[in-house]
Amino acid sequence: MRLGVDVGGTFTDLLLHDEATGRVWQAKTPSTPQDQSIGVAEGVRLICEKAGISTADLDMVLHGTTVATNAVLEGKGARVGLLTTKGFEYVLHLAKSWTPGPLFGWIVMDKPTPLATLSDTRGIPERVAADGRVIDALDTEAATRAIDDLCTSGIEALTISLMHSYANPDHERQLREIVAARHPHIPVSLSSDILPEFREYDRTITTVMNDYVRPIMTRYLDRIEERLAANDVRSHLHIVRSDGGLMSAKMAGDRPVHTVLSGPAGGVTSTVMVSQRTGHDLLAFDMGGTSTDVSVIIDGKPTISRSTEVGAFPAKVPTLDVRSVGAGGGSIAEVVDLTRSLRVGPRSAGAQPGPVCYSRGGTEPTVSDANAVLGYLPPVLLSGAMSLDIDGARKAIAGIGDKLGLSVEDAAKGILQIANEVMLGALRVITVQRGLDPRDFGILAFGGAGPLHANAMAELLGCYPCVVPPNPGVLSALGFLESEFKNEFVQTFIRSSRNTEPSMIWDRFADLATRARAWLDEQQVAEGDRRLIYSLDLRYEQQGYEVSVEVDPDLVAGQGALEPIFDQFHGLHERMYGVRFHVPVEMVALRVIAVGATAPVDVQTPAGGGDPAAAIIETRPAYFDGAWIDTPNYDRAKLAVGAKVQGPAIIRQYDSTTVLLPRHTATVDQFGNLMIWPEEV
Amino acid sequence: MQVDPITLDIIENALKNARFEMDNVVLRIALSPAVREQHDEFPMICNPAGQMIVGQFGSYIPAVVEKFGGDINEGDVFVWNDPYACKGSISHNNDWCVMMPIFHGGIHVGFSSIFGHMTDVGGSVPGSMPANARTIWEEGLRVPPVRIYSKHVLNDGVLEIMLNNSRTPDMNRADLMALIAGCRTAGKRVGELCERFGHETYLAACDLLMLRTRDAMKVIIDQYISEDPVEFEDYVDDDGLGNGPFKMKLSIYRRGEKAVFDFTGTDDQAEGPINFHIHEGLCKLFFGVYMIMAFDPSINFNEGFYDLFEVVLPEGSLLNPKFPAALSNRLNTHTRFFDCQAGALGQRAPHLSMAAGYGTSPHFIFTGTDGEGRYFQLMELLFGGVPGRPRGDGLDGHAWWPLFSATPIEYIENYYPVLVDSYRPVRDSGGAGLHRGGAGIEKVYRVMEPGMVSIHDDREIVPPWGINGGLFGGTSEKWILRAGASERERIPSKIDNLAVQPGDRIIFITAGSGGWGDPLARDPALVARDVAHDLVSRHRAEQDYGVILAEDGSVAQAETTALRERVIGKRGQPEPFSFGFAPAA
Repeated sequence: MRLGVDVGGTFTDLLLHDEATGRVWQAKTPSTPQDQSIGVAEGVRLICEKAGISTADLDMVLHGTTVATNAVLEGKGARVGLLTTKGFEYVLHLAKSWTPGPLFGWIVMDKPTPLATLSDTRGIPERVAADGRVIDALDTEAATRAIDDLCTSGIEALTISLMHSYANPDHERQLREIVAARHPHIPVSLSSDILPEFREYDRTITTVMNDYVRPIMTRYLDRIEERLAANDVRSHLHIVRSDGGLMSAKMAGDRPVHTVLSGPAGGVTSTVMVSQRTGHDLLAFDMGGTSTDVSVIIDGKPTISRSTEVGAFPAKVPTLDVRSVGAGGGSIAEVVDLTRSLRVGPRSAGAQPGPVCYSRGGTEPTVSDANAVLGYLPPVLLSGAMSLDIDGARKAIAGIGDKLGLSVEDAAKGILQIANEVMLGALRVITVQRGLDPRDFGILAFGGAGPLHANAMAELLGCYPCVVPPNPGVLSALGFLESEFKNEFVQTFIRSSRNTEPSMIWDRFADLATRARAWLDEQQVAEGDRRLIYSLDLRYEQQGYEVSVEVDPDLVAGQGALEPIFDQFHGLHERMYGVRFHVPVEMVALRVIAVGATAPVDVQTPAGGGDPAAAIIETRPAYFDGAWIDTPNYDRAKLAVGAKVQGPAIIRQYDSTTVLLPRHTATVDQFGNLMIWPEEV
Repeated sequence: MQVDPITLDIIENALKNARFEMDNVVLRIALSPAVREQHDEFPMICNPAGQMIVGQFGSYIPAVVEKFGGDINEGDVFVWNDPYACKGSISHNNDWCVMMPIFHGGIHVGFSSIFGHMTDVGGSVPGSMPANARTIWEEGLRVPPVRIYSKHVLNDGVLEIMLNNSRTPDMNRADLMALIAGCRTAGKRVGELCERFGHETYLAACDLLMLRTRDAMKVIIDQYISEDPVEFEDYVDDDGLGNGPFKMKLSIYRRGEKAVFDFTGTDDQAEGPINFHIHEGLCKLFFGVYMIMAFDPSINFNEGFYDLFEVVLPEGSLLNPKFPAALSNRLNTHTRFFDCQAGALGQRAPHLSMAAGYGTSPHFIFTGTDGEGRYFQLMELLFGGVPGRPRGDGLDGHAWWPLFSATPIEYIENYYPVLVDSYRPVRDSGGAGLHRGGAGIEKVYRVMEPGMVSIHDDREIVPPWGINGGLFGGTSEKWILRAGASERERIPSKIDNLAVQPGDRIIFITAGSGGWGDPLARDPALVARDVAHDLVSRHRAEQDYGVILAEDGSVAQAETTALRERVIGKRGQPEPFSFGFAPAA
């Protein structure tokens, strides 16, 4: 029995899978933002009761958490101390010196206070060169004084980040020992552990971020384990990483920076599964209230990015390559005074005060209001729990229309089109910008607002089929159930291919593989479920960005020449950027990814048969192609496998609504997905 | 032709996305640290007349388009770098500019263009920016606008000539190809828009986007520029040959609906390479971007407003030099151009004004031959104080120029024989103010191989001014501490090919920036914080801010209040500007 738990802003979603019977149970309880573990424990109790099992029967609890992300976004992390090499105390203060464009962009730039302040930073006399040579020995006496001073000043965690420590971590380790001996209560992160890669600012900020969220994360994990134990849950708790992998709760406590994108990871993993089952490459399209997350799935695999941003801060950790744009159901539409141009987002009405039609006090027109005005959102949501103020929405949108000289309908349509264009920009970044043609992909819609907009996005980009899964609202929890154990082991190794012996690479790979296997042992992954993935980050000498080239395990085992890898690189570079150069290739880093497979979730096939006409709830007007059309509204729960619906139509379900555009049809496939295709012309 | 407002906004968004896509493509392919790590490259998308529809500041290409008349074909890519042969559309030889016409279904629908800074284009010194050049002949190869691709076919000859004249041919080749790839990306996106909406609609939308910006600019001009001229003067330290300081003078006024920017009164062109040969169109672009960012950043920035501006650049002056005046080190002048603008416009709208920054783009260049006999050429751009501004404090050691970023020290040490001993903001270098000016930086380089060092900087003599009561900021300084020596020696801010030996240290200090608003009104707690962070000294906290700190660093409230009252009583209202420099009569 595996249990997936997804804590959202409003609800905690749980999904329980019984491998023996293939049954899946679903539960929803209100989230408890003041202490998320209360809601989680309540949800666990509830779902076990629903499934008629004892909490002791759970084998695994898989949990995606936004605790780390929220701590950074809300500025509520721990007070972190920072030890740097003397002379580089201002590393976070100076950051990358970057200011935004265009010219004079800095006039409106807001620069946040660094996650470790200058008052909590101390320089340590020592210096290591780029090749790992010690130039100035560590002055342990001065270091001890600085450590005593800093560790008694009220800091809650300590980051040690010295120059070139990726090439020689010795000084960082010595400092850690001094801290452990004298101030054992202070948790310490070494930059050479968290991110053994060059570029001092990236390495330092990532490690500091780890410490910034660490005390909060540790406390949270302790509480949740306590509560689960109190409920007689005996299984291990596993946390979902930003790259979609799983790790033990203990590891999550040591390296919480690896969970900054834990939340959206579930949806991406689910998209991977849908992609594998349906055989389509897919774009994941997760549209929520304030933002939309998109990512790309090729050959049934997600793309992994080496860096991400959390609020204003960069974090160099492996993450599923999810792009986020500030357009969602709550995004506010406004007309800019001087140019009279229509803007949608990034300002959002959020959950409070929310869109006008939610009647929670919102007065500014939003994307949801536009959907309500056009008849796409039904007047009653969540199976009767909430009714929409459509007149109020109309009035708010009319304000926009007046300024633009447009009717209410055309203004509403315009708001949706602008929002779609913003989201399109994000989809383009992850496809065309990488040489991928969006027309080779389908699009998977989830999140509260995803199914409202996905068909329009598909039409704009030409990406079909547009897939709406059976439960777009709990797709993340489902993704957690399907996650694999995963961890990356990286070694920076900057060296020209001109003077690299193959053994230099193979020996380093062997080292990393040993560490990877030890980790899999720790996670208790069975031998048969293990897999190691090898890759080399390469670039042309002195280029600024690396291309990751996967190395065939047979090649690693054979320990032969490196040329096949370089050939692969030239080909990839040409495919991605349209050029190849005749300058030497350079190695930047080696990477071994340890993967531990988990059992797939068997999906029950919904029953077939029945006339779709029986699923019609009502027929009401909706605005398509510049006119009001009487549009059938279907109950999704009554659409069986094989059912075919003609657009235009609105398909309603408990927590989501699908808009099916004119000249499109939706068919329920064997997995219960709505598959939307354009009609043959 | 009518374009509905929604389509117009969609096209605007799509073009903005395309412009950022161009950046990304360039950064991923380029090899030189200047383009790759520091983002010294500027993309834009233009209409068929060559007018910029989106971009930050591109080069001004209508002058080049004009030159080729109708002879522009699908698959052509143009390249040039000679400022004199393109009427100042770019302003020194290091900037290689690429321009590509965009066709859709055989119809010419626009141009994409990018220029980027090449590490070396030949000439008398590595880096091609000799601080002592007297003519442009010393500043490297000059390529007039020519086709590098003609109807999709690469013109090998042109490429070979260009690369053969550089000390860093591999880098230049990759960087140039990166610029071309970026232009092609824009070409594809514009093509897709034409496909989606029809090229008539696309072109009409381009016109409307410009019109929309023009209308907005009209409002801004009415609001902030009066018929009464406002004037401002600022200075470039020197021209690298011992002449200077050089005065720049700007008057701004409105005549009818036109804003006039008049540089009459600016000094004659310099003997050294600080002349800024600038196209009038580019001038308008610079004025426009400032006004948009200062007065309403939500306006899309394009060339639509050009006919509302009139620019006067006296012939033979620093801003309109005669061929063959040397140009390579024009960034000081370029920045002072903006400083004059900020100083003049700030007088009419103090609440939207800003102080002066570090005032150039400081360069550190270190060349030589390493132990393995390989030539190396490190060129690094440094940063300084970003000015105090209405929104808050200036930024310490940040980029005044948009989208630039610092090269990681670990990167530099991996590839070049230098070791950085320390890197920090300079204490008391940010001008005092309600919003403190950003501090300059101090970077100490230790060279590990024999070689040559060149430096370009400014604001060593004339400090960055403060505004609205804010005080002027710290000046730049350069020192060398020879290996084994105990005393450091001062070196000029503009110097070429200074011979260095292993163990020598160069102490590179950039200027800070001016403060904004009355420092006596600054929250004393913020002053105490700056003192704790070693950004402001106790002495200056008292002298400039009227803040007295107790032994433990906390604010001595009563003493501070008393001191501030005393100072205000004596001083009265602060002066609108604080210069820290008086020109010789």
